[in-house]
Amino acid sequence: MAISYWRRRDRYYRLLGNRCTQCNSEYYPPAYLCRRCGSESLVDVEMPTTGQILTYTILREVMSGFEGQQPIVIGIVQLDNGVKVLGQIVDTPLDALKIGCRVRLVFRKIRDESNVGQIYYGYKFTALC
Amino acid sequence: MARVIISSVGYTRVGDHWDKSILDLAVEAARKALKPYPNIRPEVIIVGNMFSSQSSKQEHLGALLASALNLTGTPAFKVEAACASGGVAFNVAYSKVRSGEVSSALVVGVEKMRDLDVSEASLALSMAESAEYTQFMGASFLSLNGMLARLYMETYNVSRSELSAFPAIAHTNAATAEHAQFRKAISVEDVSRSPLVSDPLRLLDCAPLGDGAAALLLTSEEFNGDDESMVEVLSSKISTDIFSIYERDDMLRFNATKDAASKAFSEAGISVEDVDVLEVHDAFSVSAALSVEAMGFSKEGEGAKDAARGLYALKGRYPALTFGGLKGRGHPVGATGLYQIAELWLQLKGRGNVNQVEGCRIGVAQNIGGVDTTSVVSVLARR
Ligand SMILES: [Zn+2]
Repeated sequence: MAISYWRRRDRYYRLLGNRCTQCNSEYYPPAYLCRRCGSESLVDVEMPTTGQILTYTILREVMSGFEGQQPIVIGIVQLDNGVKVLGQIVDTPLDALKIGCRVRLVFRKIRDESNVGQIYYGYKFTALC
Repeated sequence: MARVIISSVGYTRVGDHWDKSILDLAVEAARKALKPYPNIRPEVIIVGNMFSSQSSKQEHLGALLASALNLTGTPAFKVEAACASGGVAFNVAYSKVRSGEVSSALVVGVEKMRDLDVSEASLALSMAESAEYTQFMGASFLSLNGMLARLYMETYNVSRSELSAFPAIAHTNAATAEHAQFRKAISVEDVSRSPLVSDPLRLLDCAPLGDGAAALLLTSEEFNGDDESMVEVLSSKISTDIFSIYERDDMLRFNATKDAASKAFSEAGISVEDVDVLEVHDAFSVSAALSVEAMGFSKEGEGAKDAARGLYALKGRYPALTFGGLKGRGHPVGATGLYQIAELWLQLKGRGNVNQVEGCRIGVAQNIGGVDTTSVVSVLARR
């Protein structure tokens, strides 16, 4: 993986987003400037760990780096604070997947780089339906 | 402000050019565009390209091409805006001629995709999206469009066969286009029965990987004498949206296209009804549908349904994808925006052969990068 993983590990491990101190809008990924009011004053805040599926797909042709994981279920989840997050949906039978399914956050391995032994961890979602 | 004329165009066929490098392709297209005007030495060279560093381990494309064309001394550089790289390169070249800074510009779009295997190409394309929050999770560009397609079908009650209409139109037109990657008609049923790749998207909902290059010679009016059928660029506008679809309030609105189209139409002094021929960014069936909605050719939720009703067929009210679009002609990403303009040029010059839209006068091209994160809309007219 070309990106510096360690720089973002709090974001990946705890779904650490941020909140505008002026208008209370919340963001994940964290925003640099509040998109609603333009404020520069944002503080880190953990996102809720439950929500519902807004849309999803079953990806059968994976990108380089994810070989062997196909099919991957990817969803956009609306958390209970209204923030939308993209993540994989795991441990759910494909035929049970539905828009509107409740989900909760889980901590999982995202992928590993077999040649250097690096393992990347982060959040995924599991469906409660 | 100078009036900007597209004096000539050049392009390769899109497809598998195993025997040609990225520079071979760019030179071939550029020389075809320069050939009709041997006395014009372009004052600037702009190259549109997305991922030559991934595909060819090559950057510095501007100087590379200038040198190969014996045009050293000429300012030359690459611009990149993901799949909108070609459209943005066109916009930059247009702006330079329009402003009077130069009186001629060569703009070349090129992409070499087939040297990458499918999973590497998928990774390269995903660089249009957030590396940290989209790509990291394994969400390829295809998967984002798969999610968008599901939301689109669910929200507007769009059927499978309605979603298949744009790819079928694209292939009908590509079948008779010499430079198209797939010169083969396919039916709505073929699309609807093709293998799932990122459901509900199927293989034939998605533009293929291909190599290609397209070039245009832009000049200010005086070079063109009294050519009866000059093609003038009336406007070209770029806009951008919130980067990732999941950060947007409404994921089904192509705001960048809506904004760019509204500004481009306004500057050109046209309305939707004036458009005779339309090249939209049909990288996926769903992106074509959302694009025509954002530009105002279809109402919200009606883009795919209107395609199924024939609105965008070659003989329809708004002929679109007239040489196959991204789906049929092919989508060598950094070149795509320039193939679109070159194809409008053919139409407006009356050189479309069997694909000709009779009597067309106004053409519109829309080229997007990411999921409508960057959009370029340009308006061309036959003088
Ligand atoms: Zn705020």
